Amino acid sequence: MREFSISSGGVTVAGTTTLIFVNPAAAPSVNLEFLRFWVGQTANATSAQQRIQLETQASVFPTLTAATPTKLKPADPNASVITGGTAGAAGTAGINASAEGAGTKTTVWEDAFNVLNGWLHVPTPAETRIMPAGFTQGLGLYFPVAPATLTGWAFGEVFREV
Amino acid sequence: MMSDDAHLLIGTALGRTWRRENKTESYVVIPPALIITDSDGATWTLGTEYNVHMEFNVLRNDKDTGEFASRIEYQRGVLRIYGRDGWRTFSRNRRHFI
Repeated sequence: MREFSISSGGVTVAGTTTLIFVNPAAAPSVNLEFLRFWVGQTANATSAQQRIQLETQASVFPTLTAATPTKLKPADPNASVITGGTAGAAGTAGINASAEGAGTKTTVWEDAFNVLNGWLHVPTPAETRIMPAGFTQGLGLYFPVAPATLTGWAFGEVFREV
Repeated sequence: MMSDDAHLLIGTALGRTWRRENKTESYVVIPPALIITDSDGATWTLGTEYNVHMEFNVLRNDKDTGEFASRIEYQRGVLRIYGRDGWRTFSRNRRHFI
């Protein structure tokens, strides 16, 4: 099994923001099975509720800071098929969108959490989300409303190439 | 560099430093919470290693406790983990689960 993570910390978000966006590669390629998502505020936060969504987005994709997936198994000789990218294009990943893009977002998971406790979503195997290669949409971890405090966010996700 | 007040509870998880004014409230459970801050300031979370029962390794300040669990709960100042062996409580000497 080849698992990879994308994470960042100490991030200042713009408001309603796509935190991470991963777009599967064009077919034929591996599919992406998403195993874990997390969001938290590392700074000395004030208690507040925050909405969080997983959503798929079609083109036009968000404008992002490029993020290269990190191997969970360092001895794995191969890098992920997903590379860092700023345009949300197929086969790329990015974080902390500066523009959301005009593509339609479809909410596939909705939740809320207290910023003091953070949010960890670990789907059991039957509930994991698989984004197939060649799917023309990416998967985003998204703040649908602006958090009360914009600074000090840490977030990440783990996916497996299957 | 940020200076911290002496009363802050400061721990580490997921490679980050977490600062909290207070310990986590009772009945907070991981998941869906991401972290628990105990009265020592230690930060607890679940790691990415797992066993065949879909239990994850339990991390305290990013150090593996050697335990696997599906849930970590904080209740009235006591940290408990739940897994195939049932509920177990973190000992008062901060060394192991009972």
